[in-house]
Amino acid sequence: MRVTLAMKPAARSFIPIEAESIIPKNLLSGTDISVWRGNRELRLDEVFSVSVEGEADRPEDVEVVISGDGTFRLKRVGEYMDGGKITILGDIGMHCGNFMSGGTIEIHGSADGWLGREMAGGSIICRGDAADYCASGYRGGRKGMTGGTVEVFGRAGVFLAENIAGGVVTVHGDAGDMPGAEMRSGTLIIHGDCGRPAANMKGGSCYVYGTAHGMIPTFRKIGTIQHDGQMLIHFTGDIANRGKGNLFVKDYRYLE
Amino acid sequence: MIVKDVVCPFCGCLCDDIEVEVEGDRVVSVCNACELGTTKLMGEKRMKGPILRDGDGWREITYDEAIRYAADMLLSAERPLLYGWSGTHGEAQCVGVHMAELVRGVIDNTSSVCHGPSILAIQEVGHPGCTLGVVKNRADLVIYWGSNPIDAHPRHLSRYTYYADGFFLENAFRDRKVIVVDIRKTETANIADEFVQIKPGGDYAVLSALRALVRGKGETIPRTVSGVTREQLIRVADLCKGAKFGAVYFGLGLTMTPGKYKNIRNAIELVSELSRHTKFTISAMRGHYNVYGSNEVNTWMTGYPFGIDYSRGIAFYNPGETTAVDILARKECDAALIVGSDPAAHFPRRCLDHLADIPVVQLDPYPNATTAFCNVQIPVAVTGIDAEGTAYRMDGVPIRTRKVLSTDYPSDEEILSRMYALMQEERER
Repeated sequence: MRVTLAMKPAARSFIPIEAESIIPKNLLSGTDISVWRGNRELRLDEVFSVSVEGEADRPEDVEVVISGDGTFRLKRVGEYMDGGKITILGDIGMHCGNFMSGGTIEIHGSADGWLGREMAGGSIICRGDAADYCASGYRGGRKGMTGGTVEVFGRAGVFLAENIAGGVVTVHGDAGDMPGAEMRSGTLIIHGDCGRPAANMKGGSCYVYGTAHGMIPTFRKIGTIQHDGQMLIHFTGDIANRGKGNLFVKDYRYLE
Repeated sequence: MIVKDVVCPFCGCLCDDIEVEVEGDRVVSVCNACELGTTKLMGEKRMKGPILRDGDGWREITYDEAIRYAADMLLSAERPLLYGWSGTHGEAQCVGVHMAELVRGVIDNTSSVCHGPSILAIQEVGHPGCTLGVVKNRADLVIYWGSNPIDAHPRHLSRYTYYADGFFLENAFRDRKVIVVDIRKTETANIADEFVQIKPGGDYAVLSALRALVRGKGETIPRTVSGVTREQLIRVADLCKGAKFGAVYFGLGLTMTPGKYKNIRNAIELVSELSRHTKFTISAMRGHYNVYGSNEVNTWMTGYPFGIDYSRGIAFYNPGETTAVDILARKECDAALIVGSDPAAHFPRRCLDHLADIPVVQLDPYPNATTAFCNVQIPVAVTGIDAEGTAYRMDGVPIRTRKVLSTDYPSDEEILSRMYALMQEERER
């Protein structure tokens, strides 16, 4: 089954639309669901032109395709998704794929903050950039992402994979300041440069194939390793916190 | 008439030993207060009555008309923003929270642009803090990190730390040591026993290095960390470990520099580490006299200290998304009520662009930068001068501010209650 949601142009175009109801499981049983624009509840067809092709018996066979000019203000799309596929032909707003445990989200444009927050399974592919707190946790929470994969082909913002406790996050471009802060477990791979990776890490592995700027001084240098055809410098830490994580960087600079 | 034991409604120190002389409806002299407090207590040039924007000018309107305008604006909005709150008393803040829930808007206070990161860090690792009185009477080491009390909290040093007598210290002035950590040599740095000058953005690395040193794992520390030599770091760590009672006070130099709440978290974790050796505490140098109160009121009423979004009928909190700067910069609100704050003087230009596009009502006694963005401004009594109410000191102690003179201006609480009553009537219809 393929559900196409084409966003209608709206007058008050910047008030965010919270659309946590847009997940394959809900659309399997019909399109009579509602979304919220600010404090107003709206029917799905007030915001989107909805069309459904084919049939399905289970969420895994449902594909939701979202398009239109205003998709950047759709928040919480794919929240608690457990199967099926969501494709976004454009940019997506905050909290896309929150708490998801299965299925696939593919974003053709860029994603706003908190992409895949606290996700437990499934996969997210972002063809553009991801903003701050990609694959992170919630405020004050001890565990962020616990499973699944997030792959970003552009750049990522600050606090990428904060509190990550499982799963794999790959960023092909640069990452902002403090990726993998408070990392507990899981794997974070950054192909470009970043600032202050793996601050206060307790466990897990963080790979930086570019330069780590402002390197935290409390990591102990172990030696060098070969990884993916690259020579990387191996550190353990964060010793400020008795951490037993592994940080691998191609190159690093302290703020001396 | 001389009024004694007046509470100064300026900064988070909330000094309660002020004397003011009143003649009629004016304060003519102020004793004991610092320059900042004196200026506020003697403040003049208040607005006479509510004003409504009319083309390129202003038209005077009645309080009833102004309150009706604000109520209608908030009721018809899809996502109203209720911002400010730190410059008013707790009772008014309570009405504000009820109002935000009724109109399903976002309520945020000024901590989102000052010590919000401190609260985020406290939510992660807790707050080993104490009241100012404990520090005054016991601390033999005080660290000011990224704060400059001589300029911003002028009486903090004389009432609670460097110049204050301590009950458990024989010769407080000589026994107390002060460490100042900053990116430049401030006025406060001049009186410090040890001044640590950090390169901008380097606080986190220095805090990590100190944590490792306190744990006896200093061997990985490079020769210099963010411009601070290894020797000085070792000296500071030894000073801290050797103190009987240490107190860290941090300001916006730590909360608003790269890393933000992670800096505070690192500082709190350093304090926890030091508490394995001696007694150490950490507290924030809060700015507005009742910004702590706005966090208290919001927390006991909604569960969250600032940045609370009621659009869906329940409280949702996510600083970075539901905080005023982010909402305005992303154009995610369609009306704003500003109470006891001056966002136009402090917010980035992108936020003000949106503030200029939406209807804005402000409650403030004086014309300020935000007046230029208002559709309606309602002058109110100043808490601590012609209105009374509860405020929270920077260490969380509630102190009731006093009314030192009488004027005809209604208080924030009165205006907001009338607004709220109108909204309730409208909603029940």
